Amino acid sequence: MSTEGRTGVRRVPVRAHATGAASAALRPVLESPRRPARVLAAFPAGVYLEVRAELEPHVIAVVTGEAVRLPNAMVVTGPVPRAAVGDDASVGDGSIEIGRLSLRAHRWWDPAPPLGRADPPGLARALLLLTGLCAASPRRPGLEGAGAARVLAEGCADASLLRAVTAAEQLVGLGPGLTPSGDDMLAGLLVALRHLGAAAGVGRAVWLADWLAAAVTFDARDRTTPISATLLHCAARGEASGEVLAVLRGLAGRQPLEPALARLLRLGHTSGADLAWGLRVGLAAVTALAERAGGAPGADRTRKADRSGGTVAKAGAGGR
Amino acid sequence: MDAEQPGTDLVRVRTGVYHDSVSLMRVSRAAGALPGVEVAVVAMATGLNLGIAAELGFTLPDAGPGDLLVALRAADRAAADRAAAEVDGLLEALASRTAGGTGAEEPPRTVRAAARAAGGTATLALVSVPGPHAFAEAMDAVEAGLSVMVFSDNVPVEQEVLLKRRAAERGVLVMGPDCGTAVVGGAGLGFANVLRPGPVGVVAASGTGAQQVTCLLDLAGVGVSHVLGVGGRDLSAEVGGLSALRALGALDADPATELIVLVSKPPAPGVARAVRRAAEGLATPVVTAFLGRSPDDDGGDGDGGDGDGDGPGDLTSAAEAALRALGAEVPEWPAWPAAGAPRAAEPAPRRDGGRVRALHGIYSGGTLRTEAELVAGTGTFTDYGDDAYTRGRAHPMIDPSLRLEALAAVPPGDVVLLDVVLGHGADPDPAERLAPAVAAAAARGTAAVVALVGSEGDPQGLTAQAEALRAAGADVFASNARAARRAARLAGGAR
Amino acid sequence: MSLPMLSGEPCVITAGAAVLGEALDAQAVPRVAVDWRPPLPGTEADLARVLADPRRAAANARAVERLTSARPVLAGVRPAREALDLPAGTFLHAGPPIDWERASGPMRGALIGAALLEGMAADAREAERLLAAGGVRLEPCHHHAAVGPMAGVVSPSMWMFEVRDAEYGGTAWCSLNEGLGKVLRYGAYGPEVIARLRWMGEVLGPALATALTATGPLDLRAMIAQALQMGDELHNRNRAATSLLIRELAPALVETAGARAAEVLRFAGGNDHFFLNPGMAACKVSADAARGVPGSSLVVAMARNGTDFGVQVSGLGDRWFTGPAGVPDGLYLGAYGPADANPDIGDSTITETAGLGGFAMAAAPAIVRFVGGDVSAAAAATRSMYEITLAEHPAYQIPALGFRGTPVGVDVTLVARTGLLPTVNTGIAGRVAGTGQVGAGLVTPPAAAFTAALAALAREVPAAPLPPAAPAGSAQA
Repeated sequence: MSTEGRTGVRRVPVRAHATGAASAALRPVLESPRRPARVLAAFPAGVYLEVRAELEPHVIAVVTGEAVRLPNAMVVTGPVPRAAVGDDASVGDGSIEIGRLSLRAHRWWDPAPPLGRADPPGLARALLLLTGLCAASPRRPGLEGAGAARVLAEGCADASLLRAVTAAEQLVGLGPGLTPSGDDMLAGLLVALRHLGAAAGVGRAVWLADWLAAAVTFDARDRTTPISATLLHCAARGEASGEVLAVLRGLAGRQPLEPALARLLRLGHTSGADLAWGLRVGLAAVTALAERAGGAPGADRTRKADRSGGTVAKAGAGGR
Repeated sequence: MDAEQPGTDLVRVRTGVYHDSVSLMRVSRAAGALPGVEVAVVAMATGLNLGIAAELGFTLPDAGPGDLLVALRAADRAAADRAAAEVDGLLEALASRTAGGTGAEEPPRTVRAAARAAGGTATLALVSVPGPHAFAEAMDAVEAGLSVMVFSDNVPVEQEVLLKRRAAERGVLVMGPDCGTAVVGGAGLGFANVLRPGPVGVVAASGTGAQQVTCLLDLAGVGVSHVLGVGGRDLSAEVGGLSALRALGALDADPATELIVLVSKPPAPGVARAVRRAAEGLATPVVTAFLGRSPDDDGGDGDGGDGDGDGPGDLTSAAEAALRALGAEVPEWPAWPAAGAPRAAEPAPRRDGGRVRALHGIYSGGTLRTEAELVAGTGTFTDYGDDAYTRGRAHPMIDPSLRLEALAAVPPGDVVLLDVVLGHGADPDPAERLAPAVAAAAARGTAAVVALVGSEGDPQGLTAQAEALRAAGADVFASNARAARRAARLAGGAR
Repeated sequence: MSLPMLSGEPCVITAGAAVLGEALDAQAVPRVAVDWRPPLPGTEADLARVLADPRRAAANARAVERLTSARPVLAGVRPAREALDLPAGTFLHAGPPIDWERASGPMRGALIGAALLEGMAADAREAERLLAAGGVRLEPCHHHAAVGPMAGVVSPSMWMFEVRDAEYGGTAWCSLNEGLGKVLRYGAYGPEVIARLRWMGEVLGPALATALTATGPLDLRAMIAQALQMGDELHNRNRAATSLLIRELAPALVETAGARAAEVLRFAGGNDHFFLNPGMAACKVSADAARGVPGSSLVVAMARNGTDFGVQVSGLGDRWFTGPAGVPDGLYLGAYGPADANPDIGDSTITETAGLGGFAMAAAPAIVRFVGGDVSAAAAATRSMYEITLAEHPAYQIPALGFRGTPVGVDVTLVARTGLLPTVNTGIAGRVAGTGQVGAGLVTPPAAAFTAALAALAREVPAAPLPPAAPAGSAQA
């Protein structure tokens, strides 16, 4: 439409159709009436679209199978559509339209799958292992020395809302890049608090996640890049990339931790290490809070009997 | 060719070429549709296919199952040559496509080699080679520590038992043989629908049964964690529910699964008891849907068979029971009344009204057929997906030809009930060929009712398909049970 | 129980209907597509039975583990009469059993030559009469823990390499290599052939034996592993391995053989195939370690007598399963052509049996022109052999494939399933007795040998009727 306007060439656009797999987080925006969008960034392995919508995720990553499976991603079967930054696109009525390409989801995946039960002693052991592995890795987070990071870690472990929220607000948008280090650290922390807190029955950790999430997403769109803001919104809901989810499963003892962590640490320049930092601080807070609660109520064997529908991650399962 | 045989026959045998039967049927169909072509058989030269070609009057050279047979009959030599060239092109396209997947140098030739090539990244195998050869490939998967879905039918039961026992030793699951549907981590395998992720795990000894239940749940906004098919024979006395029991355990251990639905035709009594006992031992609640289970199946059970364990009578009730168990709302199931026939004005013919219209159930899904027959309580029901109809032919969910013939043969004035199953693997646009046939039937005074099993996310588009069929004059229902009730009422045999 | 496939991203192996694979592609599910084809005709029922043999998986694992962990060392050189306890009037030959009547030209020529060497006949005609009348007892080398290249004829006065397995304790034997041109193993029996054999018995054998006493046993496994990285595949190219062996032997030979050292070294060093024979014995001793595992479908010998191609299988004892030997496809020397070629002959396929030769083609780009084909075809040949083998060799590695182990341990069930037959590199003998070598190339074994072995395995599967799969607590009426 606008292409024709700019070039003045009249031609009938031939639609090409492609399919792929999409994060279930995209379902609301995909199923809404069509909205305009534009290409925010274009790489060989993916294209980021910004949708003009209040709904989150408002940035959608259209990526190949080799790219990181972000919680706001649609993975396409073939090559990524060719597009340049600023190109028009649209999203809604079941499809993503970029240029002549129309993309539909033939599979949906859950970006926030429940983790199941994890007992606090097991998590404490996982924390030791994770700390050791992170320390041994040459991949370092981008802002490790930052004071705000230290305060955030301490605030979480003490369940000090004031200190944690203040430090978190300072970290939003901090650091260079498309996803600043501060945001990745916060994202890792948010999903760890929510999922591991729910898994261990540490209601206080989920409560902390709710508050931190509200604080960092409140003005994220103004304080950081659009893609990073969207990923913070996703993390606030417990939604994460496949690489982060694998590490969470590893921490919960559901799969080997070391290879999953190695894959995470390889991501981006410092992204993987930043996310791992957040996961470690979140895990440390969950174990500290569990200890403080003195014998968490989460170790009962009737795992699922106390669940009554709804999203487990948010309900905090047996934490009540 | 002899003088009586009009046209020109062209028969070729290619050695060392193999393609699966579904792909070759598509080539046959494309060649048969070319101008001037009367008959086209492009198939592996198995005894069965050679027989079919011989019956068609072709003179055949020596060929074996490892050879590819191309037999064309056309109006003249030129048309035959054109068709042969077209077939060559299509076969070449098939060959270049075979490489697919990972794009490795040379594709692996066995599941064993593929598992080795994947180097630990593979999570399961999907085997759909002809039944007599499925055991080898499935066993490769099990021995490589992979779960496997065996889509193939005609696998001997002893092989099924062996596979499942070995799977138990290796800590994996064998889905099938004759398992048409599975959804693992959102990935639809075989005939499966595009479903949203959610809390319901399904163990299914019936593919279309699982599709009906999960599509209804999806329409109600409730997603599934996994659908684990176990094969239609799993709950027989010979197999003893080996896979169903493992699948129940696996879903119980799966953190994403909050409720398990077990869908099956009535199992062997001993197996039903074992499965029920296993289900009772799980931390996850289980809704059992043993389709059309009659009360005496439970007789002499000794364990009291409380109402819950017997399960609801039809698949729609099972979906509703699952929704209630989750505390979710049971919606009004979507229905699209036939165009130009407002439902209120429909005079239901009655037996005492003189004329009873016969009901013809023309199905592609076995469990859907059984359910419809039970619910309708009247009529003649045929499952065109049964082995008897699929030998040497594509499944009716892929190729509707047989069902279209049956539909055309329904006497004027009678009632016809059809299932249309959407999703992965199924006909990309079933209404394209079915809607005109329905319209033709309607024009003859035949009432048509369609059970449309699909989700909103399916590639074919649930609403688009429903609208096309409705516009052709069919009453369309998302619930097979409701469709069957409607058809029975139209036939005057409502219960 | 938890199933790994239920968490994380699925990755699916697909075999069969393309439409089901394409549906996965449309869902962006990563997958590995199997290029499945029907098995060899007529093997369906046997395959089902053998694959269902509960012993199979463990038996094959054990057999191939023994095959690949054997540690062959060159321990000595001795005359056949004492090494093999070979009585006068008995000759050994390559391949499965054969009599004079069915023997091919080169086999007959070599037998004539052996009769002349042993002084059992004054001339070729007399030798022929003696052999035709059954005056010499013929037995396969394989029945005596021995192997011989091409005709593989061994008579009591010939000298043999003695290879021991330091891991499992076996011993295997192979004759000394005569060099190229007119030689007994290609069926030549002229005076120069006999004279060379006498020299080998009088000079070469004793010199090597003494030198080996001085060096102590030589590690052939290490030598083969090194040679693979130097461009040998150890069947048609043994140049690197020969050099490595001579490097080990030379000082001791100089010390012990005195004036004859130069003569011996010149002979050995002038023959690029000098290592073939100890290499074959190394393969034989390894393959023999894998014999006799009940239920195993592993091939422990492939051998040709110029008429038949035969295989032996671990789970089937010493029985041979044969099919007609094919004529190799390759390049011919001088004016020779396919019409001059004899069907495939020799025990040297023991190298392929042990994961070398044609199976290691990718390691030897230098020979692809000699056997016909190009470098990529060599890599493809090796890769395709992974389809029909049970393991990758832990020590024998191919640099060009990222140091992947060679494909080793042919499984007859995999041959039947894929229809892929072992790739064999071979020399080509002239079909007329006395001609010698006419070329070299690749040969395809007859499928019948493998399907016959499969059928025999099927008959050996214990007839254990399946007990009903009664679930716990069920009471079947």
